[in-house]
Amino acid sequence: MTTLTLTAYVLVWPAIVAAVLFFIARGFLKEWREARQEGRRII
Amino acid sequence: MGSEGQQLSASVVILLLVLFFGGTMLMSILISKKKENADGYMTAGNNIGFGISAASMTATWIWASSMYASATSGYTYGISGPIHYGLWGALMILFIYPFGRRIRAVAPRAHTLAEVMYARHGRSSQLMLAGSNVVGSLISLTSNFIAGGALVAMLSPFTFTQGILVMAAGVLLYTLWSGFRASVLTDFAQVMAMLGAVVVIIPVVFFAAGGPDMFEAGATNLTPQQSNFFSSEAFLHQGAPYIAAVLAYAIGNQTIAQRLFAVREDLIKPTFITATIGYGATVIGIGMLGVMALYLGLEPVGGDTNNLIPQLATTYLGPILLCVFFIMIIGSLSSTADSDLSALSSIMMADVYGQNVAGRKKADPKTMLLVGRVTMIVATGAALYFASGQMNILDLLVFVGALWGALVFPVIASFYWGKVTNAAFTVGTLAAMAVFIPVRFEMLPDNLLVNLGVDVLSVIGIGVILGLMAFGFFGLRTAKWVGGISIVVSAPFVIGFLHDYHVLSGSLVAYSVSTLVCYLMSFRNSKNFDFALIDKRVGDFDPEEDQKTDDTAPTH
Repeated sequence: MTTLTLTAYVLVWPAIVAAVLFFIARGFLKEWREARQEGRRII
Repeated sequence: MGSEGQQLSASVVILLLVLFFGGTMLMSILISKKKENADGYMTAGNNIGFGISAASMTATWIWASSMYASATSGYTYGISGPIHYGLWGALMILFIYPFGRRIRAVAPRAHTLAEVMYARHGRSSQLMLAGSNVVGSLISLTSNFIAGGALVAMLSPFTFTQGILVMAAGVLLYTLWSGFRASVLTDFAQVMAMLGAVVVIIPVVFFAAGGPDMFEAGATNLTPQQSNFFSSEAFLHQGAPYIAAVLAYAIGNQTIAQRLFAVREDLIKPTFITATIGYGATVIGIGMLGVMALYLGLEPVGGDTNNLIPQLATTYLGPILLCVFFIMIIGSLSSTADSDLSALSSIMMADVYGQNVAGRKKADPKTMLLVGRVTMIVATGAALYFASGQMNILDLLVFVGALWGALVFPVIASFYWGKVTNAAFTVGTLAAMAVFIPVRFEMLPDNLLVNLGVDVLSVIGIGVILGLMAFGFFGLRTAKWVGGISIVVSAPFVIGFLHDYHVLSGSLVAYSVSTLVCYLMSFRNSKNFDFALIDKRVGDFDPEEDQKTDDTAPTH
């Protein structure tokens, strides 16, 4: 593997983690807002 | 360890622990009810949304040991090492999801997988699965407490014993009252902290340690196998035994089953896919720290590769990021430990008290809650006892893992094939264990016939594993083709060779023997089980009025 490929190989994982973090947080906020509007617990 | 790099002061560690456990405790208090109900305590009403369930599945599956083990794999096997640890671990979540949909379809209101086995077969199948779940969760709980104690001892002036006591008390306090509901909600906050830390820590360590230049300067530190992305050594020693464990760990882990029964049914797929990607990227990413350590020529303190991550953290992170690192590890171990406590309490509530002591119709939800809470206290005490003596309880994982492997075919077949009987399930599993033990521990005579027998069973095991994986996604016809082709293709490479890899061949024979015995004892059965009976036999323990009251409780 070249230096550039190895660098990308190391740094791609935190980038994917950031994307997953965004989707989970967005899902949670959406459910939290819905629960508030409907007057029920989120869990 | 601390002598190599910086340490956190006592006051900073106390502040971090108070912030972390105080925050989780506050979340737990906000959702607590004066009158908790038993079903909510076990599965939160089977109606959790995507955000919480995906966060919870991800947080639960990432435990402190998986972070350390992935870095160890990177350090030992080189650039492909973290993939051979994290990818297969992630696939454990992905490959169980098609089976999970089937399990939810036949048992929509279940609490544990063992409870469903009771409804499908009877007591012996249920207790085998529940027993293996209990031992597995207790091992995980102990391991997480040990990781917490070790971290506190490394990064602060406090001792290992003080560390495990704080971890155990913190996790127990916020989980005890609301059970699974507290576990999954706090998982959300923990996953935010944990994944957020991963996003920052990996690039910071990478650039602080020299950035791309380290790959040129440290290339000579790697063997040809370590610098090869397609390393056969990494595959055979790390990847292949993990592939064999993909279905076993998913089937045998009540923490996964519990989330499967808790998430809203239409959200099972996105939840499992998100958790697969989240777990894989996090654990592989952390494994890259091990690869960096290898390029840097770092020697683990005391020869213990578990010290690699803390060593890199104390060397390359500043004080604030070291605090973030501390929270990341505490988050990973707490989120798994609270899930283990919830899993253990559910098994004792539903499988032991609900099904075997009181009986489902006579089970009192209030007594069930008491059983659940007492279980959490006893389990924490037991795990503390094992952790404080530094007992090598992880050795038990070999047997539990094998039992889970032996259970895979009987459990999965029981949800699709009406001919499988309780006797076939039980005898198949026990026979597999009886063959596994001598293969795994090299107790068999070393002669051509025995070695050939082990190799042939291993080849069948490969076919069973790949066939079952294909079955989940593509159905029986494809599964037969995949299983058959795998056997034909692998046979020339495996026969005469694989019996020397005792860990791998032990796992494979467990799969093949349980499948063969279970199949041969079932296929002539003229009776077909009516799967609709499971929903009638497994259901809520709380009266309907309590469920309605629960649903309209105030919002927080």
